[in-house]
Amino acid sequence: MAGIQIYGAGRAGDGTNTNIQLLTQTLKDTGAWTFSWKDEVYSNIETRDSGFGLRASDKPIFGPDDEFDILEAFDAGALVDVANEGRIPPITRLKDGGILLYDSTVRLDYPNSGKEVKLEAVQGLIESKKLRVMGLPMGQMAKEQLNLYRARGTIAVGVIAHLTGMADDAILERTAKRFGADSDIYKMNAQALSIGRKYAEEQNWAAPELKVNFTPIPNDQRQIMLGNDAVALGAIVAGCRVYAGYPITPASEVLEFMADHINKFGGAMIQADSEMAAAHHVIGAALAGARSMTATSGPGFDLMQEAISASGITETPMVIVLCTRGGPGTGLPTRQGQEELNEAIFGSHGDIARIVLAVSEPEDAFYVMEHVFNLAERYQCPVFLLQDQMLAQSSYTVPELDPSGFVIDRGKLLSPEQFAERYGDNRNGRRYKRYEVTEDGISYRAIPGTPGVTNFYSNTNEHTEDGYLTEEEVHRQVQMDKRYMQRMELIRNEPQLPQPRLYGDSNAKIGFISYGGTYGPIREAVERMDAMGVKAKFMELRTLWPLDGAGVKAFIDSCDVVYVPEYTAGAQLRGLIQREATGPLPKLKSILRYDGRNMTPGWLISRTEEAKVGN
Amino acid sequence: MATSDIAITPITRADITGESAWWCLGCGDFGVNSAVQQVIMSLVNEAGVPLENVFALSGIGCSSKEPDMLRVNAYQGQHGRSLPVAIGLAIANPGLKVMDFGGDGDTYAIGMEHFMHSIIRNVNITLIIMNNQVYGLTKGQASPTAHSGLRTASTPDGKKGRTVNPLRLAIAGGAAYVARGVSWQRNELVEIILKAVNTNGFSLVDVFSPCVTWHREPGIRGSGPIFDWYRQDYAIDIKDAWQSMRDQVFTDDERAQLPVEYDPRSPEAALNGLRLISEAAKIGREVTGLLLQDDSQPAMAENLGVSADRAPVFQDIAVESNLDAYKALLAGLR
Repeated sequence: MAGIQIYGAGRAGDGTNTNIQLLTQTLKDTGAWTFSWKDEVYSNIETRDSGFGLRASDKPIFGPDDEFDILEAFDAGALVDVANEGRIPPITRLKDGGILLYDSTVRLDYPNSGKEVKLEAVQGLIESKKLRVMGLPMGQMAKEQLNLYRARGTIAVGVIAHLTGMADDAILERTAKRFGADSDIYKMNAQALSIGRKYAEEQNWAAPELKVNFTPIPNDQRQIMLGNDAVALGAIVAGCRVYAGYPITPASEVLEFMADHINKFGGAMIQADSEMAAAHHVIGAALAGARSMTATSGPGFDLMQEAISASGITETPMVIVLCTRGGPGTGLPTRQGQEELNEAIFGSHGDIARIVLAVSEPEDAFYVMEHVFNLAERYQCPVFLLQDQMLAQSSYTVPELDPSGFVIDRGKLLSPEQFAERYGDNRNGRRYKRYEVTEDGISYRAIPGTPGVTNFYSNTNEHTEDGYLTEEEVHRQVQMDKRYMQRMELIRNEPQLPQPRLYGDSNAKIGFISYGGTYGPIREAVERMDAMGVKAKFMELRTLWPLDGAGVKAFIDSCDVVYVPEYTAGAQLRGLIQREATGPLPKLKSILRYDGRNMTPGWLISRTEEAKVGN
Repeated sequence: MATSDIAITPITRADITGESAWWCLGCGDFGVNSAVQQVIMSLVNEAGVPLENVFALSGIGCSSKEPDMLRVNAYQGQHGRSLPVAIGLAIANPGLKVMDFGGDGDTYAIGMEHFMHSIIRNVNITLIIMNNQVYGLTKGQASPTAHSGLRTASTPDGKKGRTVNPLRLAIAGGAAYVARGVSWQRNELVEIILKAVNTNGFSLVDVFSPCVTWHREPGIRGSGPIFDWYRQDYAIDIKDAWQSMRDQVFTDDERAQLPVEYDPRSPEAALNGLRLISEAAKIGREVTGLLLQDDSQPAMAENLGVSADRAPVFQDIAVESNLDAYKALLAGLR
C-alpha cells in the first residue's frame, strides 16, 4: 500500500484541524483514498493540545497507522508533555527517519504565547529516531509577510507540498471554487504556499521517498464524509422525517446535519431538552406514523432507557444511532470506546425484542440505514446502530453513494386505503385493534389522523388487543408471547439482518472477530501478518443482536485461536460471543483497549501470540 | 394530507367511552372525564373536527387512566413522559388535536422538565391536569402541589417547604393559555377546555379534582366534605379574586387604570395574573378561572417549518419521488 501519513499538532485555536483537512482534501482531489481523524481533542474549551492525523493511500483505508511520516509541530505540545500530566506527545509516534517540521519562531499570539517549540527536550529522541528536523520560521513569516499569524499553517503546507510534490493548483482548487481566484483569501493562501515552498527550496529540503503519486480520477464522484454525516444522510434517504436529539459528543454532527437538511424534505429537527425528551419525541413521531430517529452516546443512552422500554411494550418503531465512547459516567467524551455494547443489548427493564447493528465505515453506515428503518417498522421494535467515536467523527473518502437502490418497506403500517379496506369506518364489526393477535405475530399499525382511525390506542401498561390496560394473565401471556417470544424468533430468521463480512485466508487457523472501528486496523493487521508469513482471517460482525451464534461458532471452530479486539475493559463482545455462541472457551482471547486511543495494525499484531513467533 | 371520504357522523358519548372506570367512587376525575368527553363531542359534532384527528395522551397516576376511560386515538406512557411524546406527535402531524392528561405528581414532579420546556417551546397541545395534591395511585403521599401543612403518608408532620404553583410557572414560561378549572363545575370546565384546544400554542388547564380517599384535612374526609373544603376554604374564583384585589390591594391610581373585569386577553394579563396568584396565596387561596389567553406567538411547529399542510408524517418518502433532491444534497456535500 503506497501512501503517506501526516500529523498536525498544535493547540486548540491554531487551525490545525483546518490544516489537516486542507491537506486531506487536496490528496483526495488528486486521486488518493484518505482517512483523517481527530487524534487528540480534549473535551474542554480552554486551549489544550490538539492533534489531527491524515492518511492518504492508493486504496481505501479505514483507520490510522502506527506511525506517521511527517509531524507538523505548531506548538510545544507536539514534542513534550507541557503540563507534565502524563500525556504522551505525538513525536513518539513519528517514524524513524521521519520529518519534524516545526515552527522555529516564538509563539506570538494570545492565548498560546510561550508554548513555542524547543528541541532541547527531545534531542535524544531526534537522534535515536534519526529524524530529519526542519525548522520553519512560519509564525514570524506569517506575521511579517502576510500580517496574519494563523496563516502559518498554510506556509507549512507549502513546505509539505514541496516535499511531497503536491501542486499548488490542487491545494488551492477548493479555495478558488469557494471564494474565487481573485479573492483576497485565495491570494493570501497562494502567497503563503509560495513562501513555504521558497523557504524549503532555499534550505534544500527534500524527501524523495515521500513523493505522492496518486492517479486523479476523471469525474471523481467520491466524497469525504464523517461517519455521522453518512448515517444522517442515509436516514434522510430512508425516509426519516423527524429527528430529535440532544447535543452530545460524538453524536452531535448527526443533529447538525439534520438541522441543515431535514426540513428541505418536509421534516423537522427537534433539539430536545434532554435525551430523555429526545427519545420520547421519537416515540411520539412514530406513533403519528413518521419515520423518526435520534442519535446519542453513552450518557444520553442511559437517559433513553426508559423510552426504549416504552418502545418495547408499545411496539413502537424506534431508531437510535449510538455513537459509543469511553465510559462510565462522563468518561472520555471525545475518545474512542465501545463500552455501550452490553447496554444496547441488555439495557432497559423488561424483555424487549430489539435489533442491534454495527457499522465499520461510512459507506456501510449510509446503506445500512435502509435496513435500520425497514427493520424497525417491520418488527415494530427499537433498532440501535452502533458506530464508535473514531468512525462517527473521522473523515473518510467514500465511493460515490447511490440513494436510488433504497427500498422502503413499512411493514404492517396501514396506508389510509389499506385501513379503509380492512376496517371500513370501524363500525362493521372489524374494529381496529392496535395489538391484534395475528397469524404472523405482528399487529397492524395505523396512522392517527387518517380516515377511520379513531381508536389507535398504544399503552405502556400491559394491555389488551385494543390497547386497554389489563393485568389479567391471559392477556399478559398472549401479548408477551407475541411481542417478545414470537418476535425474536421472526427477527432471528430475518434475511435482511446485515451479515458478517469475512476477510483473509479462509483456511487460516488464526482468527479475529470484532465490529465497528476495529475494522480498518484488523484488516491491515491481517495483511501484515500475511506478509510476515502468518495466515489470519477476520470475521466482522454487523448484527450484534440477535447474534448468529451458529455462524460465529462455525468460524471459531475453524480456528485454533480467535482474537477478539474491542474497546472495552469488560470484554463485552467476548462475553456476548461466549453467551450466544460458544460458552466459556479458552481459545477466545481478548485484545482490549480502553485508554481512549485508537487501535493500529502494529499495535494489534503486538498483542497476538503470533507476534512473538513472527518476530 | 389524506381527505376523508367517510362522512363525519355525529358521535355520542357511548362512541367515545372506554372500557373501565378506575377511580374511587366520588373521585373528581369523573367530572373531568365527563367534561372531556363533552369537549370531544363538541369538537366533532359542532366544529367538524374529524374524530381521527383527536389524540389523547397520559403518563402514570390516577388521572393518567383517562385514555382508558375514552375511546379515541391515545397513548398511555410512562411516569412524567407523556409531554415529550405529545411533542413528537404534534410536530410529526400538526393537524392533530393533542390533549395530554396528567396529574400533579406526573407533571409537576417527575415530568417538570418536560412541563417547562413544552411551555417554552409553545407546542400546540392542551395539557389537562387533574390536580389533587396527593399521589393517589401509591396511596396518598404528598405531591408538589400539596398545600403547606398538609398531612399525608409522606408528610406525617405536615407538608413543609414550598408548594408548586403551576399557573405561575406557566405564565412565567410564556404559555399561550393558562386556566384553572374545577371538576365539580362541568359546564365551565367544558368551556375552559374547549377554548384551550382551540388556542394555537401551549395550553394549560389545571383542574382541581379532589381525591376523596387520600386527601384528608383535619376533621374532613370523604367525597362531600373534601369538595366543600375546596369550595369554601381553598379555591377562589378569578372574578372574586380580582374584585377583592381591586378593592383591597390596588392603589387609587392603579384602580383608575385597570379594568373592572379581569381580562385574560389584555397585554397585562400575565402580570395581573401573577399578581392575583400571589395575593390569593397570602390568604391561603388558589385562583380558579381563565388567567391568560394569548395566541399571538408562533407555535413550535411553525418555528420548525412544519404545519398541518406540511406535516412530516404525510411527506412522500418514496425514494423515486425524492431522488433528484437526494442527488442534489449529495452533490452539495462533495
